[in-house]
Amino acid sequence: MIKFEKFTLKNGLKVIVHHDPSTTLVAFNILYNVGARDENPEKTGFAHLFEHLMFEGSINIPSYDEPLQLAGGENNAFTTNDITNYYITLPRENIETAFWLESDRMSGLDFSEQKLEIQKNVVIEEFNQRYLNQPYGDTSLLLKPLAYKVHPYRWPTIGKEISHIKNASLDDVKDFFNHHYAPNNAILSIAGNVTTNEIEQLAKKWFGPIEKQEIALRNIPQEPKQNESRTQTVKRNVPFDAIYKAFHMSSKMENEYYVTDLISDVLSNGKSSRLYQNLVKNKKLFSDINAYITGDIDAGLFIVTGKLMNNVKMEDAEKAINEELNQITTGNIDDYEIEKVKNKFESVYQFGQINALNKAMDLAYHELLGDADRINHEVEKYRSVTKKEIITVASSLFSKKNSSTLYYLSKK
Amino acid sequence: MKLNRKQQPEFKNIENINIPVPEKINLDNGIETYIINAGTQEIIKIDIIFNAGSWYQEKPLIATIVNEMLIEGTKSLTSQQIAEKLDYYGAFIHPNPTKDFGNITLYTLKKYLPETIKILNDIIKHPIFPEYELKTFLSKRKQQFQIELEKVTNIARREFNEQLFGENHPYGKKTELKDYDLVNRKDVIQFHKRLYHSENCKIIMSGKIDDSDIKLLNQYLGNKDWSIKTEAKSLNFGITSQPKMESFVEKENVTQSAIRLGGIIINKDHPDYHKLNVVNTILGGYFGSRLMKTIREEKGYTYGISSVLVSLKHAGYLVILSEVGANVAKNAITDVITEIKKLREEQVSQKELDLVKNYMLGDMLRSFDGPFEISASFINIMDLGLDTNYYDKAIEAIRTITPDEIILIANKYLQEDTLIKTIAGKYN
Repeated sequence: MIKFEKFTLKNGLKVIVHHDPSTTLVAFNILYNVGARDENPEKTGFAHLFEHLMFEGSINIPSYDEPLQLAGGENNAFTTNDITNYYITLPRENIETAFWLESDRMSGLDFSEQKLEIQKNVVIEEFNQRYLNQPYGDTSLLLKPLAYKVHPYRWPTIGKEISHIKNASLDDVKDFFNHHYAPNNAILSIAGNVTTNEIEQLAKKWFGPIEKQEIALRNIPQEPKQNESRTQTVKRNVPFDAIYKAFHMSSKMENEYYVTDLISDVLSNGKSSRLYQNLVKNKKLFSDINAYITGDIDAGLFIVTGKLMNNVKMEDAEKAINEELNQITTGNIDDYEIEKVKNKFESVYQFGQINALNKAMDLAYHELLGDADRINHEVEKYRSVTKKEIITVASSLFSKKNSSTLYYLSKK
Repeated sequence: MKLNRKQQPEFKNIENINIPVPEKINLDNGIETYIINAGTQEIIKIDIIFNAGSWYQEKPLIATIVNEMLIEGTKSLTSQQIAEKLDYYGAFIHPNPTKDFGNITLYTLKKYLPETIKILNDIIKHPIFPEYELKTFLSKRKQQFQIELEKVTNIARREFNEQLFGENHPYGKKTELKDYDLVNRKDVIQFHKRLYHSENCKIIMSGKIDDSDIKLLNQYLGNKDWSIKTEAKSLNFGITSQPKMESFVEKENVTQSAIRLGGIIINKDHPDYHKLNVVNTILGGYFGSRLMKTIREEKGYTYGISSVLVSLKHAGYLVILSEVGANVAKNAITDVITEIKKLREEQVSQKELDLVKNYMLGDMLRSFDGPFEISASFINIMDLGLDTNYYDKAIEAIRTITPDEIILIANKYLQEDTLIKTIAGKYN
């Protein structure tokens, strides 16, 4: 149970405070309700490029990092399909520096052509390092547009292609800031040995004067139901063949989400899971296999990935995956197995709360979903999933018409 | 009063850093054990650290296989049964084979410790390394190894380590594809028998711990049933390499090249180490470092670059590493060299030094924030037999080092002419 208090400033900034007396540090987390799904299809990779620019100095503060480091702090950020999240840990007594820095860059950035050019290069190198210059690294660039035809989840957060990043202009950047970075589009969460009263004072002092903005209306086209199975085959310079399958699943707001997550756990969470035991250990078809959900807020994907053993034919590998999925659809699953994955969820949840920063991030994220208190009901939601629900959800999830398959073949 | 947004709010320098001292006990069989009772969650971690890294192996891969295959079957449990039980209790056992050590870590909910420690006990004392499991393990690993070899960063690492230590030294020797076909189960069993016993390990238990947990630990791992009275042979290897100052491994169709620069350097147990650590932090040890500023933030050549002091049991080395745009690898290396030269020749400003000091002290706080951080920080110095006043000395060095000393240390340990360079990818 994570206890917390929350309040909202007049300008719409939501603030959540969690009192954790066990730490001498404080975690300061600010979530902006903007992600890759808010991008223009012709200007992808923008939310993430923008995250980089947030570290290039703001109206009154030429360097973001230096004053923070001077106060003994450390920070980072990440961008997903749905959110952009910035976080700091610093000694508890220096918390005001975090308020100062974050409120200033919320009120405005010190944009320049030169800074933009540099960060474009840095992001292009990130694109290279993580996607293009790695074996199997371009998978998400291929699989997502195969599964999504309409929804912006069809491109990865890094962007569709390098040219989108190269072509970003300063006007684009300013426009993006004006439409998404504002107190009424953010959630601040703080965990540490602090009081709500003290945080309220500081929040009013530093964030209070920032004006509410008009936030770009979110008008995201939802993906229509997929009615035919899709496939794509590519050849690459990799040592072994691989297969990637994506199935459309529910949004995060539906009960089905929890059911689907547990299905992925039954298949692939831990060494005792079905895919590992049956397809890696017993049948020796794969060197590596995984099933997971993308965890997005809008309707996401259930993904199965496998790297084939050298002498294995693609059709045999695929058939074996389908058989495993079919086992669940036809109800070949016992209560013990379901209990096992629920136990595991509960354990991972416990371990996740060891750290103040994790708690702050979780609180902000669940507040975005509707209420920070959702985090305290996660375990019971997973616990309440039944075998019947698993079979029902699996049946529609794993229907052939709902699948997109990428055959990633070795040139060798 | 109008808010002054130009001025950083008043902040305090970090005065008190509480370095917790683990409670030392000896189990009934004599194992040196450290207890770190901290945290708010009902969870426990047990680390067992064996002197059983690849340093001790006579044939390739054996140390890794033993460490990672402990969970693949015992006298009483099959590999699948072990996996089932661990998953059912939501527990994790992580093997971690390094050059010097074979580490095994158990993460468990406190309420399931009686069940999970039984499994830990069993896999350590009675693994059988079934032939069938070994075969599966090796064919799987062989493929993963081939995939890893496609990455420029791994190609550069292998080449760099070989140049640094020599091709026959345990820290420099490359694993080759054929090694996977030459593993003999007898060697695996023998290595376990020789090195995984109660005289050859230390234990660290951290989390929310009370006497009953310690009693359980003692009941299983404190038992005398896994003692062997032979000393592990202490092997010694000289560093015999005559390194090529610059080596290049070409890989076609790359968009980035991996670069590594470095050389043999002092270890954590050397009196100058703490000061060198400050110098290294300025150079490439944090996000605001000089290498990051120049090569990422000014030039945009890379997503990241860092400089690391690696302290192994028998040697230490410095490595500066990055993946950079394939057509700017040469420029990036030139810039690294310029930064080192600057560090030797030009005095660091008090402003930059203060910033690095405060950042490092903050980092010290972070390294002791929570039970698992404390245990990691402690394990980090245990390998060289250092005690917790190591960290007091580190703090002292950070607080007192002067710009003059930085130049002195930089000149003593960082000479750009002696750096070994390796490049993997394209280089022109």
